[in-house]
Amino acid sequence: MRRNLIGWAAFIFVVVVLPWLGIGSDRYLMLLANVMLMFMTLALSWDVVARTGQLSLAHGAFFGLGAYGVAIAHRTWALPPLVGMLVAACAVAAVALALGVVTLRLRGIYFAIATLAFAEVLRTVALQFPDLTGGTVGIAMPPLFDGDRLLSYYLIGAIFVLALATSLGVRWSRLQYAVTAIRANETVAQVMGIDVVRVKVVLFLASATLAGLAGAFYMPFITHTDPNDAFDIGRSVAALVFPIFGGLYTSAGPVIGTILMRSLEEYLRVTPPWKEGYQVVYGLVIVVAVLFMPRGLLGLIVDLRRSRPDRRWAWRFSR
Amino acid sequence: MALLEVTGLVRRFRGLAAVDGLSFTVAEGQTVAIIGPNGAGKSTTFNLVSGLLRSDAGTIRFRGTDVTRTPAHSRTRAGMGRTFQVVQPFVDLDVLDNVVVGALFGGSLGLGAARKDAERLVDLVGLGPKRHAAVASLTLADRKRLELARALATKPALLMLDEVMEGLTPVEERDAVRLLHEVRAQGITLLLIEHVMSTVRDLSDHVLVMDYGKMLAEGRYEDVARDPRVIEAYLGTEADE
Repeated sequence: MRRNLIGWAAFIFVVVVLPWLGIGSDRYLMLLANVMLMFMTLALSWDVVARTGQLSLAHGAFFGLGAYGVAIAHRTWALPPLVGMLVAACAVAAVALALGVVTLRLRGIYFAIATLAFAEVLRTVALQFPDLTGGTVGIAMPPLFDGDRLLSYYLIGAIFVLALATSLGVRWSRLQYAVTAIRANETVAQVMGIDVVRVKVVLFLASATLAGLAGAFYMPFITHTDPNDAFDIGRSVAALVFPIFGGLYTSAGPVIGTILMRSLEEYLRVTPPWKEGYQVVYGLVIVVAVLFMPRGLLGLIVDLRRSRPDRRWAWRFSR
Repeated sequence: MALLEVTGLVRRFRGLAAVDGLSFTVAEGQTVAIIGPNGAGKSTTFNLVSGLLRSDAGTIRFRGTDVTRTPAHSRTRAGMGRTFQVVQPFVDLDVLDNVVVGALFGGSLGLGAARKDAERLVDLVGLGPKRHAAVASLTLADRKRLELARALATKPALLMLDEVMEGLTPVEERDAVRLLHEVRAQGITLLLIEHVMSTVRDLSDHVLVMDYGKMLAEGRYEDVARDPRVIEAYLGTEADE
């Protein structure tokens, strides 16, 4: 655990100094860096719920709800973005609590479908109340920190650290035992004295709030939101693909998965031969990854390390 | 005062009463066995008493407190432990950590104390050398041991054992009986569901015989085993054939 702490401290140090290594003045690279941290937050938050054995398809919706929270707070009460983000986070937490209490008794595919339905309902509701949400046109607001991407980078960096702390906090506490037990067998977990419903609801709440914060950052950063963008199912898919690719139920997995998958996606999106059908190529990569690395990149590295004992670094990174 | 007091317990599945007005008490320090033919409602009774199923009627009192509506995890923390007939270890945890789970939550210990207690229990049930083994690699007998260690880790005053002998070889069975004698010597009250009659005879102070969700007979093993109604329930009457 101490070695991991050093590893994560080093990673956060790199995140902090990154803008000073030449990319700080490049607006495009800073955009990518901001979005990267945002997706890492989303991926880490999704994984926390996955650890209890629940596959959430609502994380994109929490993200969208966070985005709309800031936008509505701005439009209705003229709240500044930072205050709006706090309001939005509270709103997401309240909605997640209600959704969690209703749906967390469902398991497996039923929970996944319920959360998917929730996301669709939110999109429809956003379209049906144009007075509040701006309808299909959406809501615009002035850029965060007047478009200063360095300041916004440190803001989303702080939110990312919050998500990382949550993820590591679960892993390094007695909660790790609770979630692993719940994932294996909820009935036995109860008989072992674990308050299963409470653990699931609390983690769902924390996770949704983090996803909402990521969305609440995204809206003023991009300066615009509309129902189809805010409640894009693609973001829910990203939230689960990145951790699966990197390695489920870990903290390093979602982070590494996001870095690699986002980089690949961006590369394919802007590079000529792939540009046209980059989503097809990207999709194929996901399929191949899931087929050949069911435990993600970290699982693969652990397996390699077991067969070659000199590869200690890999093991260290994966724990 | 009885440690466990069950009164008029009823549980229906689609109108069919699996447990039908069952009443019994278990005194502190006793070992009580529940026997009866398949489908008599023994496992349903365990699920009701441990809180995994809600009863349709009746009350369950533990140490004088009504726990009929108490959730399962609270009953465990209050001192009602149990094992499952079909053992279900937590697959992503090794042997020791499986036991740590029980000590942490059921036993309400801190992480350090829970690990220490788990070490002790793993040794007690004879899994010491396999403490870091993956549970998937365990034999059935070892899984049953793990199941017992895990339940003991929740610090039960009443331990409900659902067919711990099932599937064991005669030698393993003897070991298990010895182990249960040790558990009993620690002052833990045992309530067992058991099909192996020699175990019932060796261990129990009191036997409850269930049939069709009701109490058919109860008493000492020697008396119950001679009861014509019990023999009939097990072997069937000629009219049945």
